[in-house]
Amino acid sequence: MMSAQAPILILLIPLLCGLAITLVAQKSKNLAFFLILIGMIGSFSAACSTLIQVLQGSAPIHYRLGGWPPPFGIELVIDHLNAMVLFIVSGSALLTAVYSRNTVIVEIPDRVHHYYTLYALLVSGLLGMVATGDAFNLYVLLEISALSSYALLARGRGLAYLSTFKYIIIGTIGASFYLLGVGYLYIKTGTLNMADLSQMLASPDMKESVSIKTGFVLIIIGVWVKMGFFPLHGWLPNCYSRASTTTSCLIAPLMTKVSIYVMIRLMFSVFSVDYVFNTLQFQQAVVWMACIAIVAGSISALAQQDLKRMLCYIVLAEVGYMVGGVWLMNSNGFAGAVYHIMSDVMMTLCLFMAVGAVIYKTGDSSLESMRGIFRKMPVTATAFLIGGFSIIGIPPTCGFFSKWYLITGAVETGQYHFMIALLFSSLVNAVLFFRIIEIGFFNRFDDSGHGIHQKFEFSEAPVMMLAPMLICAASLLVIGLYTSFILRNIVQWTIPAGL
Amino acid sequence: MKRLTLFLVVLLGAYLVWTTQDLPDWGDPASPANSYLSTHYIKKAYEETSVPNLVTAVLADYRGYDTMFETVVVFCAGLAVLTILRRTKRKHKKNVKFRPQREGVDIILQNAARLMIAPMQLFALYVIAHGHHSPGGGFQGGVILGASFILLALAYDLKSTLRRFKENTVLFYSGLGVLIYAGIGVISLVLGGNFLAYAAWGGLLGISEVEAHSYGMLGVEIGVAFTVMAIMFSLYLDLASGGDLDEGL
Repeated sequence: MMSAQAPILILLIPLLCGLAITLVAQKSKNLAFFLILIGMIGSFSAACSTLIQVLQGSAPIHYRLGGWPPPFGIELVIDHLNAMVLFIVSGSALLTAVYSRNTVIVEIPDRVHHYYTLYALLVSGLLGMVATGDAFNLYVLLEISALSSYALLARGRGLAYLSTFKYIIIGTIGASFYLLGVGYLYIKTGTLNMADLSQMLASPDMKESVSIKTGFVLIIIGVWVKMGFFPLHGWLPNCYSRASTTTSCLIAPLMTKVSIYVMIRLMFSVFSVDYVFNTLQFQQAVVWMACIAIVAGSISALAQQDLKRMLCYIVLAEVGYMVGGVWLMNSNGFAGAVYHIMSDVMMTLCLFMAVGAVIYKTGDSSLESMRGIFRKMPVTATAFLIGGFSIIGIPPTCGFFSKWYLITGAVETGQYHFMIALLFSSLVNAVLFFRIIEIGFFNRFDDSGHGIHQKFEFSEAPVMMLAPMLICAASLLVIGLYTSFILRNIVQWTIPAGL
Repeated sequence: MKRLTLFLVVLLGAYLVWTTQDLPDWGDPASPANSYLSTHYIKKAYEETSVPNLVTAVLADYRGYDTMFETVVVFCAGLAVLTILRRTKRKHKKNVKFRPQREGVDIILQNAARLMIAPMQLFALYVIAHGHHSPGGGFQGGVILGASFILLALAYDLKSTLRRFKENTVLFYSGLGVLIYAGIGVISLVLGGNFLAYAAWGGLLGISEVEAHSYGMLGVEIGVAFTVMAIMFSLYLDLASGGDLDEGL
């Protein structure tokens, strides 16, 4: 019986735990941590149960909220695509929750319980966005995840307030674009249910309608703002790099990937392959924009002296990979993009956790803080190394396979500029990470040139930080080694008809 | 750059105005928004939920899941303001130069407030309880309740109001409201229905399933009212005092 309720439990458990933290955990930091852990474990197990159900059955799971049949009520629809995203989002939220044990108390000592409440709200908002089958409900949950992320990001380092304020303005504009687009769809169709919308939008006069086209463009631009796609990315690097360690571990991998998921869902479940690629004529332009995003993101990453800012620009380049992959109009490219959602969450999480551990120990996030890292913090350095290899795309890490499929897609459709952008970005990433490895491994001598041997005491981060980091790093290898299994059982099913 | 931005905004605005030619006419009874789902709600809502106010039926039942998260949005906004403004105690004086200072005691204001607050709160309870029969409901009633506390704080001062309604209590109520809403959903889940399927309450309360919808809606409206009231007041507390709750109006 519980398994039938699993789809709602995925987001309900974190929500209830978040509320419980406000109500009972005002005094005790340990209780707050305990409750958030319970919430994330519950959510993750419900997500596992849902994923298993989806893998066993072939039809998507429909869950009617309030028992009302769609389109009158709201429903959750879970198919292979969002079962995978739910699994990965709740899994990484759980890992970050474990990781946060040491960092939150240092960074936000006065409001641990509020921090964890917002954490839980953010996670349930993201999970709700992924699970829902209703276009307006998606907006409501987008608001929750946005509002809680503003609060979490603002409690960061340095000028976090200012950069978060910019994010509030831009993020709100993005959300308004989305809402306006949904408004256009509603006024033309009278429904908000995604399946119902897609049926109505398939009629020929809807395809020619100017307002539907405007609605589509508004929705896509709104989602692009949220994910930080190239010309709309200005808010992201400052905001994420000034965030506290836990916040950036939670938000940087998840927010962008959930937005990518939303883009895919709206493009192919509300609109259709035929509409997006044949009725509208800007597929080529978007792929070019993705190329620019990849190249600009990689070059900016190379220019950074701060580890976290560097990672933020890498995230921007990765957004370009996925948007480009989806818009290639090719099944291999699409499979690569979907597979990359999964692998990218894990690799950015792994890197942000490793950098977070370095900041926790040294209090510094410049490239220089990596000096002697292999001697000082060997475990963290290993995790960082695996994450870096995955970003570069060295087999058998999962980054290699997603790039392989994206490049295959680019070659099959003859869009060689996208292939070149991907290869260029791999090259730049290789330079980036080997530069850090050099600093960490060889640069153990003092700058003065006298060859004074600087001592690096072994001082590794606490176990609660290392364990999730290592799980992340291991998952990069596991996802890489099980690529064919994942592609056959999950990703194959997500490819929309007609691609 | 500013000119270019202005030009682009005007261009986009003109385009959006132009697209309206494709939209159905204002108030057209045959437009999709008026003829598709709304017809079902208008014809069936009373039959299915026994609530005469259709707006409430759609808001708190058919799309009750949305409304639950709208309540969470209110809660989240209050919490966000609190987390951002109420940082650790500031060492030096804030740089707000012209903070309004209260001088003397305003007897007229205080007595007027004293007269008004109790009727306001009573009226708010009516608005909440009548939400599913007439215009009103949790959001509106919650705002009136919240305003009554703000009036108290305006007429007297922040400190004496906080003695009556402590900050922790305010926060407790804000969380409690959402918990009532979600809890009603969870109990329907435990009783064998889906989440927020109020029909499942019928057996427990000894009433018909249709009538249970009406009671379910009343319950969630009460939850909404708690959260909205508490967050209204909490926002006032944080914004009026710049986050330290010791000065300001």
